[in-house]
Amino acid sequence: MTSIAAPAIRRTSFNTGWQWVLPPLFFLSVLFFYPLALIVRESLLGHGRSLSLSHYDAVFTSGLFQDALLHTIVIALAASAGCLVLGFVLALVLSFVAFPGARLLARLIDTFIALPTFLVALSFTFIYGSAGILNISLMHLLHVRLPPVDFLYSAWGVILAEVTVYTPFVLRPLLASFSLIEPAQIEIANSLGAGPWRIIRQVILPAAIPALLAGGSLCLLLTTNEFGIVLFISAKGVITLPLLVYDQAVQEFDYTTACVIAAANIGLSLTLYSLYRMIITRFGGFRAGLV
Amino acid sequence: MLVWSRSGRIGAWLLFSLLFGVIYVLPVAVIAIASFAGQWNGVLPSHLTFAHYARAVHSSLSAELRVSLITGVMASAVALVVGTWAALALRKIYGASRLVLDIVFFIPSAVPSVSVGLGLLVAFSRPPILLNGTIAMVVVAHFVLTSAFTYGNVSAGLARLGPEFEQMAESLGARPGYRLRHVTLPLITPYLIAAFSLSFALSMGELGATMMVYPPGWRTLPVGIFALADRGDIFESATLTVLLACATLAVLVGLSYIPTRAASRR
Amino acid sequence: MAPGAVIDDVRSAVRAGSSWSSPKLGSGIGFEDVTVSYGKLVVLASLSLTIEPGEIMALIGPSGSAKTTALRAVAGFVRPASGRIRIGERDVTDLPPHARDIGMVVQNYALFPHMRVEDNVAFGLRARREAKEAVKQRVAECLRMVGMSAYTQRYPRELSGGQQQRVAIARALAVRPRVLLLDEPLSALDAQIRHSMLQELARLHEAMPSLTVLYVTHDQTEALTLADRIAIMRDGRLVASGPSQALYREPPTRFAAEFLGRANLLPVTLEAADAGDGLARVRLGEISLLVKARPGLSVGRDCLLCIRPHGIAMRPGGRPSNELTGVVRAMQWQGDLHSVTLETQGVLIRMICAPLRDPPSLGVRFPIHFAAEDATLIPEDA
Repeated sequence: MTSIAAPAIRRTSFNTGWQWVLPPLFFLSVLFFYPLALIVRESLLGHGRSLSLSHYDAVFTSGLFQDALLHTIVIALAASAGCLVLGFVLALVLSFVAFPGARLLARLIDTFIALPTFLVALSFTFIYGSAGILNISLMHLLHVRLPPVDFLYSAWGVILAEVTVYTPFVLRPLLASFSLIEPAQIEIANSLGAGPWRIIRQVILPAAIPALLAGGSLCLLLTTNEFGIVLFISAKGVITLPLLVYDQAVQEFDYTTACVIAAANIGLSLTLYSLYRMIITRFGGFRAGLV
Repeated sequence: MLVWSRSGRIGAWLLFSLLFGVIYVLPVAVIAIASFAGQWNGVLPSHLTFAHYARAVHSSLSAELRVSLITGVMASAVALVVGTWAALALRKIYGASRLVLDIVFFIPSAVPSVSVGLGLLVAFSRPPILLNGTIAMVVVAHFVLTSAFTYGNVSAGLARLGPEFEQMAESLGARPGYRLRHVTLPLITPYLIAAFSLSFALSMGELGATMMVYPPGWRTLPVGIFALADRGDIFESATLTVLLACATLAVLVGLSYIPTRAASRR
Repeated sequence: MAPGAVIDDVRSAVRAGSSWSSPKLGSGIGFEDVTVSYGKLVVLASLSLTIEPGEIMALIGPSGSAKTTALRAVAGFVRPASGRIRIGERDVTDLPPHARDIGMVVQNYALFPHMRVEDNVAFGLRARREAKEAVKQRVAECLRMVGMSAYTQRYPRELSGGQQQRVAIARALAVRPRVLLLDEPLSALDAQIRHSMLQELARLHEAMPSLTVLYVTHDQTEALTLADRIAIMRDGRLVASGPSQALYREPPTRFAAEFLGRANLLPVTLEAADAGDGLARVRLGEISLLVKARPGLSVGRDCLLCIRPHGIAMRPGGRPSNELTGVVRAMQWQGDLHSVTLETQGVLIRMICAPLRDPPSLGVRFPIHFAAEDATLIPEDA
C-alpha cells in the first residue's frame, strides 16, 4: 500500500533512540571537532592572551598567502573543468558507443580512486619531465638541445595530474545517470532525424546535468584539498593553501600562521562542501563520490 | 546507439583509446617500467633490473609497507565501527536533527588532510590528551580522514535495505540486538566490505596528514616514497609506488572475495 | 504437492498431540478507538473493532483506506496517537513488536535472503532461545504443514513466489503466535497460484481452528472465500463490518455493496415501510416491487435497491417474487456464464445466468424475475 501507509515505515520504534548516536558523536568530537576548534582558537590567539584578528590581518595581506589562495582557486577550477570535459567524453563513449570491454574499462578507471594520488604526479616526471620520455623523443626528432616541453613544473602539470586522478569522480555519477537514459529515447530521436550532436545537446546533456554538477562540485572540493600531487610536482611558485599550511607548520614551525591559513583553507573547503551538499540535495541521488 | 556510421564509431573509439591511453594507461605503464629501469636516458630505459625491488625488500622500506598496512587496517577498522554505529544510530532520528548529524559525520571528508594533521598536532601536544609523537597520532589522522566514507557507504547500504526484513524479524520476536546481529548486519555486509575497502585504500595513499604527525619509527610508505623522490631517487620511489599500489589492490581484491550470502538479493 | 496431502499432514500433526492447540492460540484482537496520525494528517480515525478468538477477519478497502495501517498497529510498527490495542487479554499498545507474540506474512514475503529455508523458519524460535532439538522438530513440523519439507536447504531466491509464500507462512506459524497477521499475502502471486493458496489457507485454518487471523486485502474474492467476518475500510474509517455472507447479501451502504462485488443499484422510492412478512414496497419508475424491509426508512424516501446480478433470473423462483419486463441492450458470453444487460423503467439491470443455448438477441423484450429476499434497500445518502 500506498501513500498513506508510507510514513508508517519510518516509525518503526517508539522511542527515538537519541542516546545511541552519542558514542560515535563523542568519538568524532574529541578526535576531529576539538582539534578543529583549537586551530581556530590558535589562529585568533597566537602567543597572545586575547583573541584578535591581527594574525589574520598579517597573513591575508601577505603576498605568499594571496598567491597560494589564487593558485588554489585557479588550479581547482581548471582541474574540475578538465574533469568535467574528460569525464563527459569518456562517459559518452562508454555508454553510447558500444564496444567490447567497455564495462571493464569503466571499472579500471574506477580503480584509480583506490591508487595513491601521487602515483600520477610521479609518473608525470618520467613522461613530461625535462628528462622524460616526451622531451627526449622530441629532442631526438627535432634535433634541439633543450627540452621543448616545459609545462610539468607549472600549474599546468598540477592541473593535468589532478584531472587524471579526479575524473573518475565525474565518470561515476555520469555513467549512473546515462544508464537511466532509455536507449529507445535515443533511437526515437535518431529516427526523427536528429544527428549525434543534436542528441547529445538535447537529450543526453540535460540528463547529465545533475551528475555533472554533483561530480564537478565534488572535484572542486577534492582539488582544493589536494596535497600529494602538488607536493610531488613541487613546481616552483606553485604553492597551494594545503602546501602553505604544511610549509609553515613543518618547515617554519610557525603554528599560529599555519593555523590562520588552515582556518582559511577549511573555511573555503566547507563552503565548497555546502555547495556540493546543496547540489545533491537539490538534484537528488547522485552522491557522486566516494560513497 | 548514438553513432550509426562505421566511420563515426571508429572515430569515437580512436578518440577514447587515445584519451584512455594517454591519461590512464601511460602513467601506470611508465611507473611500472620505471620500477624496473636500470638507467633511463633515452626514450626507453637502457636495461631492466630487479635491483630496486631487491633493495626495497631488504631495506627499511619494507618496514614502511608494514607500517602502512597496519595503520590502514587499524584506522579502517575503527572507522568501520564508528561509521556503522553512526549510520545505524541515525536511523532512529528524524527531521532536522538527522540532517545536521548527517552533515556532522560527513564533514571530516571535506576538510583538507594537512589541516586535519595540523589540528591533531595543536590539540594533542597539550593536556588533557597527549598523543604527539605516538603511533596513535597517525592512526587517528587516518581514522578521521576515512570515517566519513565508511559512514557514507554504510548509510547508503542501510537506505537500500528497506525496513521489511528488520520488521519481519521484530514481529518474529527478535530483540534489537539479535535483529542487528542476525538480520541487519548480514544483509549490509557487502556495504561494510565496500566501506572498509575504500577507507583502507584511502589510508594507504594518505600523505598530507601523515606528513604532519608521523613520529620517528612509524613512517608510512607514501612518506617514504616522497622522501626518496625528494632526494632524487625517482626509480626507487617508482618501485615503492608499484609495491604500494599492488599491496592495496591485493587487499581490495581479497576483500571482494569474502563470500556474502546476501549478495544476490531480490 | 497436492493440497489434500498437505491437509492430511496437518491433521496428523494435530492428532499427534503437537502443540498447535497451545493455549496461546486463540487470543482475539481488539481495537479500542484507535487513531493513527502523522502530524496533523489523520490516517486511521478511531477504529473500534473486535476480532474473536479463532476468527478470520478480513479487513478490506481500496488503496489508501488505512487497512494496512490498522494491521501494522496490531504488529506494533505503527504507534496509535490514541486508543488501545488488545491481543487476547493483554493491552499491547505500549509493547514493542518483538514482545507481542504475533505471526506476520506480507505481500513480498520478506524472507531473509541470507538464510536457508530452515533457518528462516527457525528464526523466531532461535530469537526466543528455544532449545536446539525443539527448534529442529518444530521447523520440520511447520515445513511439513505447508508442503515445503523437500526444500529446507534452499535459499529464498531459489524458490518460486508460491513456495516463498509457503515458507513465509511456516515461519510465521512456527513461533505459535497468538494472532496471525496477513498483509495482502497473495497479491504478488499470479491468479492460478493465488487460488490454490487461498484454499490452502482455508485448510490450514480448518486444522487450527483456534488461530485468530487478521487478513488485509483489497480483493473481495479473497475476503469472501476466507473470512468469517469482513470489515470494510474507506479513507481511514471503518464503514461497515459483519459476517461475510450477511455483508454481501445486505450491504449497509452503497460503497459496501459495490466494493464486495457487482451490484445493480436501482433508484427507488419507498411506498410502504412494512408490507407484512418483513417486506417493504418500493416504486421503480411506474411499477411497484416487494423487497426486504429495512427499519428506519420513512415512506416517500428515495433509496437504492441492491440486487446482485445472479439474483435475477429468467424464471420466477422464491416467494414472493417480482417480475419486470426488460429490453436486451447488451449480451456477453464469458465461458461459464452469460451476462445480459436489460433496460427497464429507464434503468439498466445486469443479470448473470448459466450459459444460454439460445441467447436472446438485442432489442428483444422479455420478463425477468427476482425474489424479494434478494433485494436489499440502501439509504440513498449513505
